[in-house]
Amino acid sequence: CSKYLDINDDPTKVDDLDPAYLLPSAQAATAMVVGGSFQITGGIWAQYWTQGVSNSQYTTTDQYNVQATDFDRPWLISYAGALQDLQVIVNNANSTRLAQYAAIAELLKAYQFQVLTDAFGDVPVADAVKAFSDNVIAPKYDAQKVVYDSIFAMIDRGLENIDPASTAGPGEDDLIFGGDMNKWIAFGNTLKLRAYMRLSEIDPTRASNGIAALSGASFLTEDAKIDYVAAGGNNNPLYAEILGLNFTQNLVASKTATDQMNAAGDPRVSVFYKPDTDTTGITGIPQGSFRIKWTYNFSIPSSVVGASAREAASATAPVKFMSAAESYFLQAEAAARGWLPGANARNLYQAGITASFEAYDVAPGTFITNTVAAFPATEEAQIQAIITQKYFAMCGNQNFEAWTEWRRTGYPSFFVQSVSSVLGAGQWPVRFLYPNQEVTRNPSFPGAKLVTEKMWWDAN
Amino acid sequence: KVTSSDDGSPVIGATIIVKGTTTGTVTNVSGDYTIQVPEGANALIVKFVGMKDQEIKLGSGAKHNVVLYPDVTKLTETVVTANAIRRDKSSLGYAAPTLKNDELTKGQSSSPLNALAGKVAGVNISTSANAPGSSSRIVLRGGSSITGNNQALMVVDGIPIDNSSITGGESSLTNVDFGNRGNDLNPDDIESVTVLKGPAAAALYGSRASNGALIITTKRGKQNANKKNEVTLSSAVTFSNVAKLPDFQNQYGQGYRIDDNEYYNDPIENWSWGPAFTGTPTPWGQSINGVRQIKPYSAAKNNVRDFFELGKAANTNLALSGAGEKTTYYLSLNSLNSDGVMPGNYDKYNKYGVRFNGTAELSNKITSSVSFNYNKISARMIQGGQADGSVYDQVLQTPRDIPLDKMGDLNNPYNSFGNLQDENGVPYYGYYGVYSYNPYFTLKNFNNQNDVDRLTGAFTLEYKPLPWLDLLERVGADVYSDRRTYKQPKFSYNPIDDSPEQFYASSNPQTSVGTYGKDQYDLAEVVHDFMVTAKKDFGPDFKASLMVGNNIRQRRLNTTELKTNDNGLVIPGWYSFDNSDGPIIQNDRLSRRRLVGVYSELNLSYKNILYVGATARNDWSSTLPKQNNSFFYPSVNGSFVFSELFKDSQLGRILSYGKLRSSWAKVGNDADPYLLQTYYERTIINGGFGSTTFPFNSINGYTLSNLIGNANLQPEITTAFEVGTELNFLDNRLSIDFSYYINKSKNQIINVPLAPSTGSTQKTLNTGVVENKGVEVGVRGTPIRTASGFSLELFGTFTRNVNEVVDLDIANQIVIGGYSGMSIVAAKGLPYGTFYATDLRRDDQGRVIVNPRTGIPLNSTQAIYLGSYNPKYQASWGVNAGYKGFNFSMLFDTKQGGKFFSRTKTITDFVGTSAYSASMDRNGDIYPNSVVDDGTGKFVPNTSVKYVAQDYVPYQPAGQQVLDASYIRLREASLTYRIPRSVLNRTPFGDLTLGLFGNNLALWAKNQYADPEVNSGGAGNEQGFDYTAQPSLRNFGFNVRVTF
Repeated sequence: CSKYLDINDDPTKVDDLDPAYLLPSAQAATAMVVGGSFQITGGIWAQYWTQGVSNSQYTTTDQYNVQATDFDRPWLISYAGALQDLQVIVNNANSTRLAQYAAIAELLKAYQFQVLTDAFGDVPVADAVKAFSDNVIAPKYDAQKVVYDSIFAMIDRGLENIDPASTAGPGEDDLIFGGDMNKWIAFGNTLKLRAYMRLSEIDPTRASNGIAALSGASFLTEDAKIDYVAAGGNNNPLYAEILGLNFTQNLVASKTATDQMNAAGDPRVSVFYKPDTDTTGITGIPQGSFRIKWTYNFSIPSSVVGASAREAASATAPVKFMSAAESYFLQAEAAARGWLPGANARNLYQAGITASFEAYDVAPGTFITNTVAAFPATEEAQIQAIITQKYFAMCGNQNFEAWTEWRRTGYPSFFVQSVSSVLGAGQWPVRFLYPNQEVTRNPSFPGAKLVTEKMWWDAN
Repeated sequence: KVTSSDDGSPVIGATIIVKGTTTGTVTNVSGDYTIQVPEGANALIVKFVGMKDQEIKLGSGAKHNVVLYPDVTKLTETVVTANAIRRDKSSLGYAAPTLKNDELTKGQSSSPLNALAGKVAGVNISTSANAPGSSSRIVLRGGSSITGNNQALMVVDGIPIDNSSITGGESSLTNVDFGNRGNDLNPDDIESVTVLKGPAAAALYGSRASNGALIITTKRGKQNANKKNEVTLSSAVTFSNVAKLPDFQNQYGQGYRIDDNEYYNDPIENWSWGPAFTGTPTPWGQSINGVRQIKPYSAAKNNVRDFFELGKAANTNLALSGAGEKTTYYLSLNSLNSDGVMPGNYDKYNKYGVRFNGTAELSNKITSSVSFNYNKISARMIQGGQADGSVYDQVLQTPRDIPLDKMGDLNNPYNSFGNLQDENGVPYYGYYGVYSYNPYFTLKNFNNQNDVDRLTGAFTLEYKPLPWLDLLERVGADVYSDRRTYKQPKFSYNPIDDSPEQFYASSNPQTSVGTYGKDQYDLAEVVHDFMVTAKKDFGPDFKASLMVGNNIRQRRLNTTELKTNDNGLVIPGWYSFDNSDGPIIQNDRLSRRRLVGVYSELNLSYKNILYVGATARNDWSSTLPKQNNSFFYPSVNGSFVFSELFKDSQLGRILSYGKLRSSWAKVGNDADPYLLQTYYERTIINGGFGSTTFPFNSINGYTLSNLIGNANLQPEITTAFEVGTELNFLDNRLSIDFSYYINKSKNQIINVPLAPSTGSTQKTLNTGVVENKGVEVGVRGTPIRTASGFSLELFGTFTRNVNEVVDLDIANQIVIGGYSGMSIVAAKGLPYGTFYATDLRRDDQGRVIVNPRTGIPLNSTQAIYLGSYNPKYQASWGVNAGYKGFNFSMLFDTKQGGKFFSRTKTITDFVGTSAYSASMDRNGDIYPNSVVDDGTGKFVPNTSVKYVAQDYVPYQPAGQQVLDASYIRLREASLTYRIPRSVLNRTPFGDLTLGLFGNNLALWAKNQYADPEVNSGGAGNEQGFDYTAQPSLRNFGFNVRVTF
């Protein structure tokens, strides 16, 4: 009888497998967040894009009237998708080969936690993703400062465990670097630079010390990205969403960004955007003006950023975790602040702009030389120039990070309030809302925040 | 003369006795009699087998005609109880109402479950679309399981049968209703249904019957005095139309408001927020070769009603039954062919069935029987919800002035969808709207096909070696294959419009990537029971019987679900996985469970007065951890027929039968398979509208499941207590049945939702307590029964069930249905199935707070509870009237006090076609009974701030779509005429009945939008959820039944 009843192991599933198989899943999960819903909300709040007329998918985002449920999905994918799988890799690193996977997993955890905390503020870290391993079903929230402490610890653990000489390790299953551990070292260093830089306003001493320690370290010289392909189910996440919405062009160009790029004569404007029918040149509509019937045709984001609804080429737009341009701009800012000994801010500034043009194969004309020639002399002006150029480089491809840097530095300075804003004059959305699933399911949830409540590091 | 009330035919061989004497006679072949009445006698008694005794007072005349009525309420009635055991009804300590075939088939419902609606107290049937093949749900005494099954177990001839409801489509938001398997059973084959409402009654079935059971007995061949064989042919033709559409406005047409008295008559719109109708001939739609169509700008009042056609169904049954000396047989063939109310023959449901039931006495001690049923279903179902393939959703998005019902010719350029081509052969569309497809195109091109083959059957062998000993072995099986194919076309059409105004932009394409999907569910369930029963009489007054038995059951479900990914098809029109753009999404599962049980039942009786019964059962289940997989549960019940104590007294003449009954039971339940471990899965990252599917660019990826298993699960426990009484008055002219019960279900096995920061979204836990308390009343009376043969029977039921989720340890609230804007939840302290959504913000007096600038109502800052889908009470009222061969019956039922969510309201309010959307001054109106914040936090009545309907009505919070589900319904009506036997004497027919019938004939609902019984969640726990569900049908027709 007991043998007759011993059939309760699912014959169509496994409860044990090589954790290496989890790495590409976790990478694609993080990319779904950064390149999907964060790209959309970031794109609208960084004023690259705005909700198009006669459609309505993202009207509440443009109104700064977001709901807690809007953030359920990216939070779920981050924790129950990416972080859970990364943690299983870390917990099972019982061979040299798996130690390399675990090192990457630590770096990706750090990256994912930074994205989460920059979006939501205080988030669970110490108690996070422990239902499976330790039966923790009410994770406590950690203060954002503690989250950043953990991020630095994860990066250090990851970097320590990388053995570039190891022949056993990931290959093509590493969707970002194809198993090149030297690039992961550069990723770790750049991520640490990004994380310390985020503390520039709240704790400049710590930021400068941390960055000084990176002196001589290798930083990213190429994009850390996942390339998508045309095959169904393998498309750029933003384009996959557009396709799921029956190819509706909800996202159109925002006048905020296009006016500035046009004024500066930036040739990238017609790469990141494309003219709609019957127009020449790139024109956006005012941020949040979806209720108004415009007499002119306006531009839409292009296929290189995965957002042109009716072009199949959008499917293959990459999702960038961190770009080479960002790496140079971060170094440039560190140099401008005098935190990275031996580094030259102007050269790094130029390298950042150049990396952006090269990434999209844009002929710079005189744009780069003119822009670099105008590189200002004072520190604050230099920072403004660097962040503003970083903003243009991230147009449509690193939207959430561009919005985050605006929150940290206040640059670029040309943002306007959405015409359909539900917030009072001078008020901006400066955080995402805690997701509804966390509010209703986590007994340790500390309480909801308003979209206008600043991050801990947002001290300007 | 003595005649039968059935058809007025003479009763041959009836006995007539002079009251108080032994003098008597019998009727002759014409039913006539003569009798010499002795002096002093004042009455005659007429008796006939199967008829009620009739007493005739002797008057002055010499002729006394008598009409005999069938004895339907015989008190020695036997009832088929758990495990197909026949029991004397008096001996049962629980309510076990029984319905016979003729009561079930009066309204000619194609669903055996819908046929029960309103006929038994304590039974809650949700009939959904009330169409052939659509879902129906049956819940007895309220739902007790938070996430598990809450429906009654269906048992046919001793074998539990599967009643799964696997809805088609991605979710209930895009539901294709393929019905529930319990409706496969042909109502015409059913001899009787006994409703075992509580766990006590069904304790022998154990875990599966904790929600009660329907004990269905199918027809057998019968020993018939007159002839050995009988052939019955019955045929019904049913017509259908939509029972309830939303109330539409007829004042405003296509377009929208721009400013005060300024409107745009935008021809692409699905909105009816345009200007008031003028009747002026106006061009509309696309311009083709410079020409636009012209129609008067006025309401096309019936454009939605006339979109639908008259549905037609033919139901034919041929049954052969008979009996030899030691054998019986029953063979029936059934076909049901239906073409529903959607225009054209795209919504079809065809079912064919064969049943054979036979018994043979092999020797004096061994009896064998076999029953066998085969069903074949082939159906094409129409998608509901908010989906490209949802026809009703598209129909409801039609402006009030668009003559949708005349747009069925897809070859007409102005209706076309891809039929138009430019000189390069590029296809275009000429249809007016850009926000939805032409529903005629959808009907034709979106195909949801369902094919089912199902075999159920049982073999029984009974051996009686000694007069007091009975051994019975029964093996049954339920095997089916349920296959679905989904085809959605791939296309991309630009508008053809060549108007100088460019009404239609190239950014208004009609596009779909296409889908191909295939689901297959193969179920095989085998059940074995072996029972030994010993009976002993201890003297004339005490009787005892003891049964012990063993039950083994195995269930194996093979699930294969395949579909193309979000990128759909490569080549239009080719439906094959060879044509998938990228990897296909597949779900291939094998689920097996086994259960071994031993059980025992002891019954004791004293005279016909006192009965006591007890059951005990222990189960061992494969789905629980080894250390917890054995669980024991007992039940006791008793009944006291107190009327036996005074049956010959004066009181006994008034109270002819009285019984008190009570029962207590505990029932255990096991888990679903495979909940003890945590598994890995192939990675699919669902981003909301788009997803990343592995393999990714030929790299494989797996992920830890978001459901965490539990190696320490325990069985669930339900306890139930019931008291009741049955009282019959005045020689059974009036009967009352009353029950009160409390059921409590605890330690439930639930996949409790976890906060995603745990790394998971669900963990299987034992938690939660749900309680149901209620009363049930059934009344039946025959106020009129005349000597001329007229009889009138009235009956009614009343049910009140109070449900509460008493405890939920961790979560406090579990979502059982709904969508992102509105959840149907089980929440601590509230009834199961409570609606939870954002609603209008109100002050403490319940007045609506509006924005002081716009006059538009504000939304509540968080979701609030808005009542549950459970009715506060249910009731029914029916009448049966007979006169000679005529029989008329009518049944009303009602559910009061429940709620339902209606997206039919959401969409018709959004597009401005609902009557509600025109109930205010569209140019600005004050929201009724509204208040504004006077700036100091105090709310003062709003007397001046007007809102613009177009800025509010389309965007109401979800709470405003939760409506009162109360209704009164004319559930069934029928009129039959049975032609007298005397007329048929010279024909080959033994019996001929003609009838008119209808079901769901009239509905008085409290809401203006939909039949509150329609549902997008199939027969599952997600009820009261009209996510643009298919509208329900009114069915009516005629039938003929003839026997040879």
